[in-house]
Amino acid sequence: MSDTSLTPRTGTIAPNPPRRALALHRELQSVWANDRGLWGQMTAVSHTTLGLRFMATAIIFFAIGGILSMLIRAQLASHQGAFLDTELYNQIFTMHGSIMMFLFAIPMLEGLAIWLLPKMLGTRDMAFPRLTALGYWCYLFGGLIMLTALLFGVAPRDGWFMYTPLSSAAYSPGINADVWLLGVTFVEISAIAAAVEITVTILRQRAPGMKLTQMPLFAWYMLGTSAMMLVGFPPLIAGSVLLEIERAFDWPFFDPARGGDPLLWQHLFWLFGHPEVYIIFLPAAGVMSMMIPVLCRTTILGYGAIVAAILGLVFLSFGLWVHHMFTVGIPHMALAFFSAASVLVAVPTAVQVFAWIGTMWKGSPQLHLPMYHILGFFLTFVMGGLTGVMLAIVPFNWQAHDTAFVTAHLHYVLIGGFVFPMMAAATYWMPLITGRRRVKGLGEAAFWVILIGFHGTFFIMHLTGLMGMPRRIDVYPDNPEWVWLNLTSSIFSFVLTIGFAMFVLDLILQATLGKRESRNPWRAPTFDWAMPIPSPNYNFASLPTARHLDRDADEVILPLARGEGILPGAPNGRRELLVTRVGDAQPDHVGVLPGNTALPLALSASIGVFVLLMLASLYALAGIALVPVAVLIWVWVRGMAPGDNLASVAVTPGLRLPVHHHARASLGQSGLVAFLVANGTLFASLLFGLAFVSVVTPGPEAPISTFTPRTTAIALGLVTLAVGLASACVAWSGRHGAAMLALLLNLGALVVLVWMAATQLDDPTRHARDALRAVMAGYVGLHLLVAAGMAAFALDQFRRGEITVDVTGAWPALRLWQRYTSVTTLVTIGVLTAQAVMS
Amino acid sequence: MRWLGLVLLGPALWAVVFSLVYGLHGTLCATASGPEDLGRAARLALVGAWLLGIAAFLPVFALIPERSGQAANLPRIGLWIGLVATLFTLFPVTVTTSC
Ligand code: HEM
Ligand SMILES: [Cu+2]
Repeated sequence: MSDTSLTPRTGTIAPNPPRRALALHRELQSVWANDRGLWGQMTAVSHTTLGLRFMATAIIFFAIGGILSMLIRAQLASHQGAFLDTELYNQIFTMHGSIMMFLFAIPMLEGLAIWLLPKMLGTRDMAFPRLTALGYWCYLFGGLIMLTALLFGVAPRDGWFMYTPLSSAAYSPGINADVWLLGVTFVEISAIAAAVEITVTILRQRAPGMKLTQMPLFAWYMLGTSAMMLVGFPPLIAGSVLLEIERAFDWPFFDPARGGDPLLWQHLFWLFGHPEVYIIFLPAAGVMSMMIPVLCRTTILGYGAIVAAILGLVFLSFGLWVHHMFTVGIPHMALAFFSAASVLVAVPTAVQVFAWIGTMWKGSPQLHLPMYHILGFFLTFVMGGLTGVMLAIVPFNWQAHDTAFVTAHLHYVLIGGFVFPMMAAATYWMPLITGRRRVKGLGEAAFWVILIGFHGTFFIMHLTGLMGMPRRIDVYPDNPEWVWLNLTSSIFSFVLTIGFAMFVLDLILQATLGKRESRNPWRAPTFDWAMPIPSPNYNFASLPTARHLDRDADEVILPLARGEGILPGAPNGRRELLVTRVGDAQPDHVGVLPGNTALPLALSASIGVFVLLMLASLYALAGIALVPVAVLIWVWVRGMAPGDNLASVAVTPGLRLPVHHHARASLGQSGLVAFLVANGTLFASLLFGLAFVSVVTPGPEAPISTFTPRTTAIALGLVTLAVGLASACVAWSGRHGAAMLALLLNLGALVVLVWMAATQLDDPTRHARDALRAVMAGYVGLHLLVAAGMAAFALDQFRRGEITVDVTGAWPALRLWQRYTSVTTLVTIGVLTAQAVMS
Repeated sequence: MRWLGLVLLGPALWAVVFSLVYGLHGTLCATASGPEDLGRAARLALVGAWLLGIAAFLPVFALIPERSGQAANLPRIGLWIGLVATLFTLFPVTVTTSC
């Protein structure tokens, strides 16, 4: 890492003169701190507050999921376990799996990234603080809906992957399945929001001069994770929406009698579900790559190899989803595709494990508490990897599929690959969170109890699995020979629980009773430790640059606290940070972030009302409930309007940068691009569904369509013309008239589309293909509506004088959205026309 | 930005070839006469698509600047990842599968 000089097009970065640290702290605190009291918690948007809150909430859900697993183990301890009936048992294991995956693991890693990334990259907050808060509230409300359902005995009970037809209306008549579909989708809003933010923060908010190849490895891991989330979650969301529509309105996407296919659900689910495993694993591996070199007093071995491994994992893991479906007798598909890829994906995983081992070899490992958990990870994860390779071999898979062997494997991977690293990370970063030192002894004891409890519980399940015990059974009256093993496993699971309780107790003791810790206790070289502990909301009194990289954080803390970095303090009384360019991280402009607000809470509450109305099957009311959602989104976007002070900001002596309202490539714009990637994947998932039921599904052919070709052709031509013109208009000029035209054209296209859907499209309930066509039409319609809304917003901005020659306002966003809308509209029309012509 | 694009290029190419061959396989099977039968022509089409996919990597190697060091190596490694994955994951499919 030699090149640390900074010569942006705007001049060289010279250090600011030192000031009094305390005065700077007060100035920043008055701008960045949360408001006081409970209200302050409801309006907080700070990444420090919300990151911690995400993690704390996730731990609570972990405890709830853990209690459910205790019930499972208690039931399985004897062969006629009497205290849960089958119905309740099904709800409990489904909720255990769903809670652990969607309400513990994912939010935990989001929280970790939200809390840690800005500190590591040398900035003051995430790119979209209000979005962070929105994500949190959606997570909380979605989780509460699912828990409430459990309390009332109407929780989902079809397994955490909700296979159809078991989860279809015929076999799951109550609202149980809807709770899962709507609840999880609600929670996924936070996943998409986090993924967008993480991507933008890593690409646009690195300390100036910190090239991508100089980032701390955790940032690379999170970049990989967020990319996978942007591409992995949309298939799940698409699947859940389709299944919910099927259950609510009888559109037969998954119903074989009407040309649907249960396998479509499996494909969409595992297109998400397999990458999900890596989405969970990568952040864990990321914290390991940060902690191991520091705890071994050395540098990481093979930085480049690790980055390449991440790259390989991110892509390859999308090529293996079918290995979860090896036993469904896939009619037209080759198992070979996925068996090969499943074996290949072991390579990048191995590269990382060897890089860590090599790092420990070359350094001098010190047995601090985080290191215990890291060793626990190695032991457990490697065993899980071995059983994973066994399961990737098709003939073995046929034997072990759906037995306790799989349960054992998945817990070795999940607890070994995620929970142990998270515990290591918690013990490692606790001083930065609390500013305190831990109480000696308890942490080590907790580790040993957990390790023994874990292996005692789950190793045995390999054996019961090989003896033929299926997963998801509540009694096994004909197999008394399994009892002893199961009873032992259950006893150890209580040991495990005690261990987790001790671990949490240790954290609580540290937070409340610990002695004050000194700064940078691990002597780490990264920016996350180059700040006061506990870390203030604003992180850095002045921002670090590449000059400060790879130095012991101690040498950097004081100069930064005295304001010798860039953008010291908050002289303009607003939250400012530096936005850099993607590749070389040269300073681009100053981003102005929103302050504390209750808007995220209000918006997610109004989405929650919509979800509840859907659950209650009050569909008309649910439609109306979308109005406040739309209004709040408008208010939200208005909140980004420029204030009075649009002057450029002095970043260092001799360097002034414009604020983001003057910038074309603002954070918001980058965020929209990331969002459109996710949106595009959703669109592709729908296309995949259409192709699947049209080409692959064996069921009955769709009946003859009833549309009149002439009329339809004219209507489609009109829509094509309108979206084409609208795109041309917004590209052509940023004037008032162009916005007006775009508004009218989008509305016009929408009207034609609605008319066509009403008169020409086939009844969506008669065949899966027709249902998918209707969904695609709905997708296009929604996008036209939003485009019209954005054009109206831009018009309003012109009226207020907020878009001028050099203030961009909503214009670049409108242009991008319009383009996306036009392209997806044209693709949809093209596909539907081609289908019509061919048949 | 361009650099990041180059890094992603190799694996992205694999993803495209994978999807195309996968889609082609599905389509061919849908029109096949029996469940086990994948005619000669279909087999040739699959293998042809696979070879074309591999060939597509060659010109791309030329895009990478001739420098050395971490920053120049990563795109190159990315291409190799894509190429090896294309070779390894699609070989059994195109050569041995039936429907
Ligand atoms: C706290 C200790 C844990 C114990 C004792 C435990 C125990 C169990 C047991 C016995 C089952 C099998 C239920 C059955 O097949 O009838 C199960 C299923 C499962 N567990 Fe855990 N578990 C624990 C933690 C976790 C964690 C941390 C995760 C994820 C991060 C997790 C994810 C799952 C999943 C996804 C299933 C499958 C649910 C399904 O079949 O739908 N578990 N667990
Ligand atoms: Cu998998």
